[in-house]
Amino acid sequence: MNKRLFSAGVALLALAVYFAVLVTIADEYWNLNISLGLPVVARTLIAVFGGLIALVLFLAADDYSDYRQPNVLIAAGIMLFLIGSYFGLFVAPPEQFMGETQRIMYVHVPTAWFALVAMTLAAISAIVFLLGGNYKWDARLEASIEVGVVLAFLLCCQGSIWAKPTWGVWWDWDPRLTTTAVLLFAFIGVLALRRFVEDPLKRAIWSSVATIIAYVDVPIVYFSVKWWNSLHQQQSSPSTVSKPFWIPLRANAFGILLLMTGFIMLRSRIAALRLKNERPPLPVVEVTT
Amino acid sequence: MTQGVVTGGWNFVIAAYAITAAILTIYGVTLITRLREERLRASKDPNAE
Repeated sequence: MNKRLFSAGVALLALAVYFAVLVTIADEYWNLNISLGLPVVARTLIAVFGGLIALVLFLAADDYSDYRQPNVLIAAGIMLFLIGSYFGLFVAPPEQFMGETQRIMYVHVPTAWFALVAMTLAAISAIVFLLGGNYKWDARLEASIEVGVVLAFLLCCQGSIWAKPTWGVWWDWDPRLTTTAVLLFAFIGVLALRRFVEDPLKRAIWSSVATIIAYVDVPIVYFSVKWWNSLHQQQSSPSTVSKPFWIPLRANAFGILLLMTGFIMLRSRIAALRLKNERPPLPVVEVTT
Repeated sequence: MTQGVVTGGWNFVIAAYAITAAILTIYGVTLITRLREERLRASKDPNAE
């Protein structure tokens, strides 16, 4: 574990959480301006890029030798998720039209973001493996896909629960929902492919290629609400979301980011250990009588 | 629903948060269990590590 990179990630993440969550809490509930004079756009950019760069630093620092760092990230993720859920369930007011059901947004939207981020990490791992042949990236590929599939499945469950009171149905073959279902099943297919191939090299190459093909659906999922006439609402921005809604949304986003990162780090260790535990084929012994 | 406004809905909110907590917790537990199994297997297997 590269401790310098990990510490840099922690510092960057703390900065992102400060500008995304603490500044808004201080402004909204304590009437304090601790934004250091930065406008909303700059704070949002620091939050988004700070969080994503911290994720990259955590993964870059990880050489699978230390088991404490993923646990620390998971514990911090649970804490932020609990804070965000407290604000989302008990502090934020109900939305004007969707009422209480809008509180589902605070878990649904971050889950959607990080399902797509996990798939993106899988695609990056696939490209890096194909270029360099380092099995560390194959382990990371398997880990990112599995965590992405869990988040995408969770996303579909949350979406169905939100769809029933707002659209009147649990599921609709709308472009956003359909492309998300395709994404989920495409990546489940990649995981299934890995199960069927015994040779580690073939498994790594084939699943990397399959991941890159499956990844084509990720931008389609993101832009589906803009390209087609969709029941699903379009992406929001700080200018279209009221301030009291920012806090639970952002705290949960950082919570799920840390949980996803910790899960990927733990799952990478499992994949790497499995690869080591795979015995080489036994030599053929000729018996002569 | 009255006049385009969703009324009630707390049961759906609770369901969404509960399923989120349940899936993330169950997945986290399976990760810890699988990691323990693989580490145990690696420590027993002379070919590994």
